[in-house]
Amino acid sequence: MTAPESSAAPLYRLEEAGLALLLEGLRRDGYRLVGPVVRDGAIRLQRIEGISDLPRGFVDEQAPGTYRLRSSGNGRLFACRPGPQSWKRHLFPPREPVVQLKRHGDSLEWRRPVVEDPPMAFIGVLPCDLAAIRIQDRVWMEGPFQETRYVARRRNTFIVAVNCLEPGQLCFCASMGTGPKAGQGFDVCLTELDGAFFLEVGSERGEAAVASLPLREASEEERRRLQESLKQARLRMGRTLETRGLGGTLFGNIEHPRWEEVAKRCLTCGNCTHVCPTCFCLNVRETGTLADGRQDRERFWDSCFSLDHSMIHGGYFRHTPKQRYRQWLTHKLGAWPSQFGTVGCTGCGRCIAWCPVGIDITEEATAIRKTSRGHVRMPQPRSAPVRAGDPLVPTPAQVKGVRQETPDTTTLWVEPTGPFHWKPGQFNMLSIPGVGDVPISISGQEGSGILHTIRAVGKVTRALTSLQPGALLGIRGPFGTSWPLRAVRGRIVTVVAGGIGLAPLRGAIRVMAAHPRHYPWVRLIYGARTPADLLYPEELELWRQLLHMEVEVTVDRATPDWTGNVGVVTKLLRAGRKVRPDGVYLVCGPEIMMMVVLEELRAAGVPEEHIYLSLERNMKCGAGFCGRCQKGPFFLCKDGPVFRYDRISFVFRHAGL
Amino acid sequence: MTASPLYSGTQVSRVETPAAQGATELGVDPTEKDARGGRPRLGVFKFASCSGCQGVLLSCEDELLALADALEILYFPEASSHLQEEGPFDLALVEGSISAPEHLEQIQKIRARSKTLVTIGACATSGGIQALRNFGNLDDFVHRVYPRPEFIAALATSTAVAEHVKVDYELRGCPISKRQLLELITAILLGRRPEIRNESLCLGCKRYGYVCVTVAHGLPCLGPVTMNGCGALCPSVGRGCYGCFGPKEGANTEAMAQRMLQLGMSKDDVRNAFRFITGYAQAFREESARHE
Ligand SMILES: Cc1cc2nc3c(=O)[nH]c(=O)nc-3n(C[C@H](O)[C@H](O)[C@H](O)COP(=O)(O)OP(=O)(O)OC[C@H]3O[C@@H](n4cnc5c(N)ncnc54)[C@H](O)[C@@H]3O)c2cc1C
Ligand code: SF4
Ligand code: SF4
Ligand code: SF4
Ligand code: SF4
Repeated sequence: MTAPESSAAPLYRLEEAGLALLLEGLRRDGYRLVGPVVRDGAIRLQRIEGISDLPRGFVDEQAPGTYRLRSSGNGRLFACRPGPQSWKRHLFPPREPVVQLKRHGDSLEWRRPVVEDPPMAFIGVLPCDLAAIRIQDRVWMEGPFQETRYVARRRNTFIVAVNCLEPGQLCFCASMGTGPKAGQGFDVCLTELDGAFFLEVGSERGEAAVASLPLREASEEERRRLQESLKQARLRMGRTLETRGLGGTLFGNIEHPRWEEVAKRCLTCGNCTHVCPTCFCLNVRETGTLADGRQDRERFWDSCFSLDHSMIHGGYFRHTPKQRYRQWLTHKLGAWPSQFGTVGCTGCGRCIAWCPVGIDITEEATAIRKTSRGHVRMPQPRSAPVRAGDPLVPTPAQVKGVRQETPDTTTLWVEPTGPFHWKPGQFNMLSIPGVGDVPISISGQEGSGILHTIRAVGKVTRALTSLQPGALLGIRGPFGTSWPLRAVRGRIVTVVAGGIGLAPLRGAIRVMAAHPRHYPWVRLIYGARTPADLLYPEELELWRQLLHMEVEVTVDRATPDWTGNVGVVTKLLRAGRKVRPDGVYLVCGPEIMMMVVLEELRAAGVPEEHIYLSLERNMKCGAGFCGRCQKGPFFLCKDGPVFRYDRISFVFRHAGL
Repeated sequence: MTASPLYSGTQVSRVETPAAQGATELGVDPTEKDARGGRPRLGVFKFASCSGCQGVLLSCEDELLALADALEILYFPEASSHLQEEGPFDLALVEGSISAPEHLEQIQKIRARSKTLVTIGACATSGGIQALRNFGNLDDFVHRVYPRPEFIAALATSTAVAEHVKVDYELRGCPISKRQLLELITAILLGRRPEIRNESLCLGCKRYGYVCVTVAHGLPCLGPVTMNGCGALCPSVGRGCYGCFGPKEGANTEAMAQRMLQLGMSKDDVRNAFRFITGYAQAFREESARHE
């Protein structure tokens, strides 16, 4: 995304009166104009009527934790640098509906509310912010799923970009390759110079919009002056950031003392993420009240500085300020290229100005680079084909049967609407209207129905486990990767499961149990808290009787009638025999159990590529939009939940990622 | 997943947020049908407070009808004269701080009679503005303020309800937010997790699109260390937050205080900023003590 300095594109000169005509024309064409406006002592991006609303004569002064508007002493319209708001507020609003539920008699129908706002024309998009829109496009539009409301808004948005001739104290777009000249994606681009505007056209839509304007081709001299000014601007950046190999350096320094140091200053307030034009993390809530009787769902901006961003039942992955700040910085500058093929930072400087204590992302990243203690190789981005359909809309499904497995765990036998294809290891998002939407693995198939084994730990799982046959619920999915049943054919397979972790593995075990020819030797090691917590006891017994399967069970705490093993699964793993380094290992359970198992396998010399894990994280969408299920450069919902260990070991090793 | 004592202590940091920091889980689930199968029973109680938070409940006109349908109101002296003090209550809303000798016993009784106990407002959750006396000497105040000090029976300190009994959930603010109150009651009745976020006020402020008063105007604001919920009222009118929702989880008050000093506040002003409506909440109390 580097912006070519010199381009042969035609350049026109437009006087201010012509600009007014351009905006009028856009309005006539049905666009709602959105542009920079001075309000409450800063530039805000909001609806404007014409050029008289633009911040003529204002310029900003920015420093870490400080922003002031002052008079520029000239009549320029576009002298201001990025302010506290960014365009994402208009394409990805801070709050908006996700789905609405309609009831028709006994049936349920979820709908995505359509975007009803008129198309927008963004007036005065700075080059860094144009790049930010391109970055958000990757997140919302470029697969594996598309966010349909974003797509609807984005496709209709007309962009008038403005090149920067006066970068600010906090700008480093030149380092990030996003400015000071606008890259791709504008319909029309302006440069304000010597009291006039120089105009380039970037699209057919732009071509049509300028067709009737009083344009004149720029002279050679004007073209030269413009290029010279842009070159000067490039040299006047207030900040710089060396980006070469930065991701590998940041992830190679997860335990660097600098994180502790910055955490002492950081307020974990999250301002940086909310002013950042590319941050996309969100949260979802049920909105119905008793009075309105509705059961709709809305989403709102969230931040990795919020504690519940990393919540799972029983704890948080990132509860210290150090872990949260590290997530922000490593995501923006380190993980993003692996996820989306572009850095997540445009160099706009907003997070530096609007951090109440003035923490500077360039300073922190540079400090780590300068005292780096290691480097890792970051994974390449994988492009996934865009899948059809809207991943956020549940479809109704009916409970056919219910089976209580243990005091707190129930298996639902669910009949989806229409054919449903899934692979062992994948999961669904299950919805209870008005209560919530949670990720649950598919634990098997029975006829045309699928099985979900659910442990009641909170509100939604409690509601799910109290459903009765005939009840309706919503399903979205299947999502995620599956166990490598093809790749492990003919190998010695050891399955290690802890607690509810047996549920995501059961589908795979059933396949291996049914096909001894492909899976000649399968060993299952399963640990639960107490004998009463053991899942699927009859099925365990059935498997145990198969000639090609070996089943061993252990509990943390025995009851008087328990005659079996007591202790951790690793004790069984090596009991009476050597852990085979040539075997394949499929592991799922609490993360801490998996750590212990991995340590055991490592000690036995099992190569990392022979180990597969299924992980758990907080999830609100399943489709790669909510940002909550990240583990370093991976999204659990699309890159996981099943991972080959060698691919994730460089992040899995570290707590708090 | 399985929380095994054998595996405790590493990777997943199991930090339970205590109710006093705005827990995200209700201790008891009042939607679990009780043997009576009737509507959940509500009690609204008051200790040392101005009744402003109960006022918020009363101001929910439209929603109140729906609530009155869904709940059986057993005890709510400000709203009704028909009172059943003995309960038992599925849901008790408690306003006010524990400030007088008789409160000590009363709150124990309410706890014993209630399945879910929710404290509402700055007084009940932090001790309130009246907890300023905790930093001085009660006798001095009493002698200075009252003509007949011997008639005054007060505890030496005004404290949060959670310092005396187990609290299942708390609603912050002076006064509480109507949206949060309705969300809490609705969530309890529908069996969903209440969306009451223990996050900084800044996040709310930014979602609304307000301009930060610290960064743009150099005004001190406690927003970064204060729990969101008020609708960013003060910043919306160009003023700094004075922290009436109390500290957010993990509030880094030390870094906040540094910044306030940098903005030109004196040590005394910083102390007084933290020692205000929720000044006896632990994080704010400790910070103000650093600026004695
Ligand atoms: C890929 C995947 C597969 C899973 N498979 C199973 C399974 O087969 N069986 C099973 O019993 N559990 C499974 N879980 C865990 C299950 O999703 C959580 O226990 C559940 O979300 C808790 O929701 P709650 O509302 O009951 O809990 P509460 O504590 O009341 O609320 C937690 C809220 O956080 C959100 N949340 C999102 N993701 C999680 C998460 N992973 N853990 C906790 N909260 C989360 C939800 O919105 C949820 O409502 C799986 C999790 C993941 C990520
Ligand atoms: S990380 Fe900071 S500088 Fe980079 S795009 Fe976000 S707000 Fe701008
Ligand atoms: S996880 Fe990444 S996208 Fe989400 S808020 Fe943090 S830095 Fe921004
Ligand atoms: S870096 Fe600054 S803006 Fe971001 S959370 Fe920390 S204190 Fe807040
Ligand atoms: S901005 Fe701060 S002081 Fe003002 S109402 Fe909100 S929490 Fe209270």
